[in-house]
Amino acid sequence: MNKSASVVIIGGGISGNAIAYELAKRGQKDIVLLEKKFLTAGSTGRCGAGIRMQWGTKLNCIMSKYSVERYEHLNEELDYEHDIEFKQGGYLMCAATSKEMEQFALNVKLQNSLGIPSRMITPQEALEIIPYINTDYMIGGAFCQKDGHLNPFHTTQAFANAAQRLGVCIEKFTTVTGIDVDNGKVIGVQTDKGYIATNVVVDCAGGYSQYIAKMAGIDLPLYSQRHQILVTEPVEPLQGPMFMGFAHNIYCQQSPHGSFIMGRGDDEEPKDGRITSGWTFLEEMAKNCVKLLPLLKDLTVVRQWSGLYNMSPDKQPIYGHAPNVEGFYMASGFSGHGFMFGPVTGVVMAEMILGLSPTVDASQLCFDRFEKGQLFIEPSVV
Amino acid sequence: MIQKDGIATQEMIDSITPSAERRSKGPVAVVECFQSIPCNPCYTSCPRKAMKELIDINDMPQVNTDICNGCGVCISHCPGLAIFVIDETYGDNQCLIKMPYEFTPLPSEGDYVTATDRGGKPVCRGKVVKVVNTPMQDRTPIIHLVVPKEFSMIVRSLNINDIYDDNTYICRCEELTLGELREYIRKGYTTLDEIKRITRAGMGPCQGRTCRQLIMNEIAKLTGVKPQDQLMSTFRPPVKPVKLGFYAQEDTDNE
Repeated sequence: MNKSASVVIIGGGISGNAIAYELAKRGQKDIVLLEKKFLTAGSTGRCGAGIRMQWGTKLNCIMSKYSVERYEHLNEELDYEHDIEFKQGGYLMCAATSKEMEQFALNVKLQNSLGIPSRMITPQEALEIIPYINTDYMIGGAFCQKDGHLNPFHTTQAFANAAQRLGVCIEKFTTVTGIDVDNGKVIGVQTDKGYIATNVVVDCAGGYSQYIAKMAGIDLPLYSQRHQILVTEPVEPLQGPMFMGFAHNIYCQQSPHGSFIMGRGDDEEPKDGRITSGWTFLEEMAKNCVKLLPLLKDLTVVRQWSGLYNMSPDKQPIYGHAPNVEGFYMASGFSGHGFMFGPVTGVVMAEMILGLSPTVDASQLCFDRFEKGQLFIEPSVV
Repeated sequence: MIQKDGIATQEMIDSITPSAERRSKGPVAVVECFQSIPCNPCYTSCPRKAMKELIDINDMPQVNTDICNGCGVCISHCPGLAIFVIDETYGDNQCLIKMPYEFTPLPSEGDYVTATDRGGKPVCRGKVVKVVNTPMQDRTPIIHLVVPKEFSMIVRSLNINDIYDDNTYICRCEELTLGELREYIRKGYTTLDEIKRITRAGMGPCQGRTCRQLIMNEIAKLTGVKPQDQLMSTFRPPVKPVKLGFYAQEDTDNE
């Protein structure tokens, strides 16, 4: 293993690999990416893998639009030998209350002003998009055809392969055991396979970000919560868009491969880092799904699993550097949206680390917003 | 136990295995007859008198490997299909096994087949180089099968379905073939979990029941890491596919 590196990236998910690629693309040499298990072993490989531009704040709209546009051409840009399976079937956001409708109307107005082709829809129009919605439970909604879904394993691998071709060294099955800080500066990373001297560490360890930061003496205001998800057998194409409801607490979509992937949030889920599967989820998820999308009742569930949402106080990521430890950067606290923001994470962090002028100004998501009480409130999160 | 399953024990095999020196000199007959039965065609058919004379017809045959030149005449004459000829000088690290084969359909010359051991378990891929089936063989055709040298005393039969074919499905749910699997392993996806994520093998309705072991064995072959030392993937519920509608049912009866 390398004895020294200019940048050590901790975490082999979408964020880590995108950052590694964007840094290398901008000419940075001697980058090492460390991953405790294998690429996508953590939250990236466990996520629902949807991507939407239907947000309620300008910054999130801009960041997601940037990401979608990059994903549209990622196969070609990264010269990937397989396919990232980007399917732009849209997101159908289902409104259950008039309050939700009002919020959606505001969101759509904002999105349209930023060039995002979303629109409000009536229950009748919703049926034209997904013919088997039970419209008893919806008063309207919003739809954006350009939203979609992609394969998280292949997308991450595409970034990883491209990064490796540019000289990035990816060390799988390597555990970070400590981060050495001297005089307020990062000087090296200890791993179970040896020591790497470095002045720059990027923490994108997903559900384990706060523990990595702790190694450098930094307290991140984050916690990791289990989220569960299930997948059915593959069937013929039935459903174009992701069906999503905040009040109904559901997201459900059919992957290009044919299987339906669905999940829901639950405040009662444990926050102790466990990634086991539970019976309650299966039952609640099935009830919800059969109620809202009755046709799916005959699909068989083949597997359920879980992953960690790395939650921040305002459910928005932290893109930044630690104020008191020079050279410690973090892209964490994605609160469930790390995968869809992958491309923008890579660019924002690479430009921040290299001191380049930003393509997307994400300075509102800096680390000290919490101390200053400037929380970034996004109305449209699960 | 040979009396129970008909498969010779290692001890029995060792007792009739020609010496390494003899095997290195060329073809030689291996007579795997371990029962005292009244039978002597091996002795009477040998044109070189390499088979020790059976004083009592119940005696078990013994080959004088210095005289035997591995011509193979005895193979078809043995009613118990117990005689084989092995030739470890056939090629670099290859060995030719001549074996009796009375199943149909017969393989054809040039076919790749699954070489199996005495119990019928797959051992390796074998190539059929000759099928001898003249009136001389009296309906006991002789197959000439080429396998890696180390299996000369292990391979004793064949299955015409070549499970080592690159087009063999390893994961039937997600249609991953052996050839594709090997390619992924060579590219560096050397754990079951990585193979699963990049190919979907094991994500289908059977949840890896068929492919998990096969993939781990293949990883072991190409990386040298034994299956028991490899990382196992997570076993996830439900145990078998269950309809969403079933889970969604209201509990009608709380016992």
